[in-house]
Amino acid sequence: MKKRKIGIAVVCAVCAFLLVSAFFATNFVLYDYHMEVSDYQYAKSEEEKPLSAATSVWFSYGDDGKEVFYGIDDGISEESLTVYALTQTGEISVTHGSENPIQEDSLGHFIAALPVTEMDLDGDGETEQVYDYARADFGSNAFNPAPQSFLSEEIPFELVFTERKYIMVYYENEILTDAEITVTSYNGETNTYRTDENGWIDGLSIRDIREGFTASYSPDGETVYRMQYALEDYSYFSVHFWKAQLPLLLVFALAGIGIVAVHLIRNRIEKNNPDYKIYSRESVGIYPNTLHQKTTSKFLMVRWLCLFAGMFLWTYAGKLIHQGQLGNAIAIPVFSCPFNLDQVMEVPCYYLSHLPYLFSRYGEGFPVLNLIYALTFLGTLLLCFLFLGRILCGFLCPAGLLQDLMDKLRRALHIRPIVVTDRINRFLQPIKWVWIVLFLGFIFTGGDFCDICPLKVFTTAQGGFWTNLYLGGFFAVVILVGSFFIKRFWCIICPMGYLMGLFKRFNLFKLKKDCTACTECGACYDACPMRIKSIYTEREKENVQTVDCMLCGECIHKCPEDKALSMTFCGKTIYQSSRKTFMSKFSEKEEE
Amino acid sequence: MPDAVEPFFDVLENTYVKLSDIQDPENRKSIGTLCVMVPAELIYAAGARPVRLCSGSYTAYSIGDDYIPRDACPLVKAVMGFGKIRALPVFDNCSLLIAPVTCDCKKKLAGVIDTVKKTVPVHIPPLKKEDADTTVFLKELYRLIPILEKETGKQVTAKSLAEGINMVGYAQREMSEFMKYRRHDPALMSGTQVMAVMNAYAYMPVDLWAKQMRRLNAEMKLRLEQGHFVSRKNQPRILVTGSPIAFPNLKIPLLIEEMGGVLAADETCMGERGLSDPVSVIDTSFDGMMRALAFRYTKPCTCPVFVDNTQRIYRIKQLIKDNHIQGVIYHVLRGCLIYDYEYQLVEEAMGEMDIPIIRVESDYNEEDVEQLRVRIEAFIELIKLKEYKKEA
Repeated sequence: MKKRKIGIAVVCAVCAFLLVSAFFATNFVLYDYHMEVSDYQYAKSEEEKPLSAATSVWFSYGDDGKEVFYGIDDGISEESLTVYALTQTGEISVTHGSENPIQEDSLGHFIAALPVTEMDLDGDGETEQVYDYARADFGSNAFNPAPQSFLSEEIPFELVFTERKYIMVYYENEILTDAEITVTSYNGETNTYRTDENGWIDGLSIRDIREGFTASYSPDGETVYRMQYALEDYSYFSVHFWKAQLPLLLVFALAGIGIVAVHLIRNRIEKNNPDYKIYSRESVGIYPNTLHQKTTSKFLMVRWLCLFAGMFLWTYAGKLIHQGQLGNAIAIPVFSCPFNLDQVMEVPCYYLSHLPYLFSRYGEGFPVLNLIYALTFLGTLLLCFLFLGRILCGFLCPAGLLQDLMDKLRRALHIRPIVVTDRINRFLQPIKWVWIVLFLGFIFTGGDFCDICPLKVFTTAQGGFWTNLYLGGFFAVVILVGSFFIKRFWCIICPMGYLMGLFKRFNLFKLKKDCTACTECGACYDACPMRIKSIYTEREKENVQTVDCMLCGECIHKCPEDKALSMTFCGKTIYQSSRKTFMSKFSEKEEE
Repeated sequence: MPDAVEPFFDVLENTYVKLSDIQDPENRKSIGTLCVMVPAELIYAAGARPVRLCSGSYTAYSIGDDYIPRDACPLVKAVMGFGKIRALPVFDNCSLLIAPVTCDCKKKLAGVIDTVKKTVPVHIPPLKKEDADTTVFLKELYRLIPILEKETGKQVTAKSLAEGINMVGYAQREMSEFMKYRRHDPALMSGTQVMAVMNAYAYMPVDLWAKQMRRLNAEMKLRLEQGHFVSRKNQPRILVTGSPIAFPNLKIPLLIEEMGGVLAADETCMGERGLSDPVSVIDTSFDGMMRALAFRYTKPCTCPVFVDNTQRIYRIKQLIKDNHIQGVIYHVLRGCLIYDYEYQLVEEAMGEMDIPIIRVESDYNEEDVEQLRVRIEAFIELIKLKEYKKEA
């Protein structure tokens, strides 16, 4: 009884701490890049003009992520350069010549313009009026899906990066539809594209955008507008990439310390307490284990492959396949950070935790696009919720993979887990509810869930994107330590997973149980990372899938009874427990 | 009779007739156990060898009768009898007796038999659904480790525990293979012989038993291929459940087969139950393996000492389905209250399934054989009649 009261007090304290500390999330700084736009060094480029720059003015970035360079063709005076910058107040600041345009309130979007020149570009003997611009977007330190446009009288031709993969073209402050755009890409090649009804350059690959290009447009044959575009982007294993790993290393180092601390504290408690003294006989170390062999099942192999594929898709794929996002509005509910701009499909965690922004994705001026986006987003999200459900947690979620790897690490070290008994599980439930409230409601109180999100650091840093870590960074350490000792610790309290589980009735994948064949041996319960007890106590219903079940298949793998547990897809059995497979891991002792 | 059964019979003969100790090439120390809740894996991990002392000997029962109250069950009396006469080397050579505190008879036995043999009682939680109950049993298992280590002088390490689990697991693997053959209709082997094989497990080192079992399986496979059956297609298939049928008290299986039934399956602790549930190791740390043992030796156990034992009904239903059972004989040893308690539940469940069931009460004496014969004969005829009506 006393233990129970202490437990309730601890849970209340943790919940209250979560709720209160969330409001001061930005005050707890774990790692700060100080990556304000004003930290960038602005200088004249001393390198050669890049092949992609067809203009007389261009922007480029330094390797370590804190430098931006401008370049001008020889023969053009530096004094004639004008640089426009977007500011937080919405105004456009203007600087001239070599003056530094980067100011305290700059947003990181700059356009450099040269005065009009007369040139014969097409070689027909007549000269054209050529307007040269260069645009720089400090893109990789912020996630802002809405297009950032200047729409200034002085810049009639403008390129805007939007939707992580499209370049939108404005001409005289209107979207330029169905027009011919000539693009010079990173290798110096020129291609002609057309803009579609949204003003997006149709067919321009993400690689072209990332590595820099020049787009030129001639409305009447006599004037030519050219703009060099440079999105801040870095290749893997560059200085910038390694710098991005720093917070990740920090989190892992802290987690390592945490794991050792938990392990030592536990040993100490157990040594001193006669009740638990018995456990302390266990020694840590890697020893040969005869029970390991032949225990891999095809199903679990597929699951591991899917998890790695998910991690690849949501972390690296956008960059490596040079396609950017494949479906911009298609929302696949897994926990992967959208601050990683290379993810292949939309992850709904951002818009679910920022609900008011869902209907203003493209900014104020695009009501139809916004509506289409929101509907596609909600539609695909609903489809995933209804028909796939939590199988995504078990098979695709990058956060799930991370936790599974932590669990593997613990197993390799033969450190015993913290067993989540049904009592501890009951105490974890209120924490889940707090997370759900914060996840869906925090934005309405003026907070930002991303500041307290424990999973922000992982895919972002792995993809080479810089993130500042606030309170969420500390939570990330807790999650790592937790998932080391408790398999899928985060999944037990995951808010999105719970929302997905609510629709389990309609899922195509189902977990079924033959209640007569079950012997209630509890192996499934012991194997279940979500600690679902009803899976072995259930004696009436055939469908044993609960809100928490993520169809990871561990229970089926560990079930010794023939066909007692099975997973079905559209009513067809795809994986079921088998006594023969289970028994095959025991082998006769070898004669010596 | 399959040739591969001989070694099992030899073991039983050596134990009860030639009165020799267990033949163990590795010469491990003997640890006596009662009931199915003592983890053999742990004893093998400590470098010892368990021996099940639950006996069906009438002689020992008669002697034990003087020390145990009249209403106690004959199994307890037989164990006490062996303790007193000191004639069975299998019993006498045990250095220790591990006695789980299960039913009332065993509980008091654990206290009384301590006078003749050093006994370690192990608490079995009568409830098992809550995690706290499993923790209680887990602590009991941990408590056993130093006791066993002191006895053998060897350490229980993670490695030896894994080996122990693998050793018993392999026997269970052969056993589950054997069960497939046992299910076959018509039968490949007499059910009484199966009971004898299962009883021989009590007096054999598990690795030797598994080895012989593999030979038996090979022979069964051959028999199946050659169509060498011991029963006809229309013989009633009977399931025996209830109190333990311990060697040499095999009169019920013998009577069933004498009267033309096929003993197709059993749900008794000296039979299939002792070996049918394997250890499912989830976590390979030392504690993980211990937890797996604690799970395996309480949760799936269908012994009626547990307060809520509805899972036994499901086990019986599953056996009926798997083994094409047509009738159930519910065996109650005189004084075995807990099995008698559950008869009502099983009877109701069988009534719903339209499976005839008969309750047979008996003990180790041979005077009631003729009465039992009449009842079992009538029961088998009833099943035949029922099948006949169904066909007509």
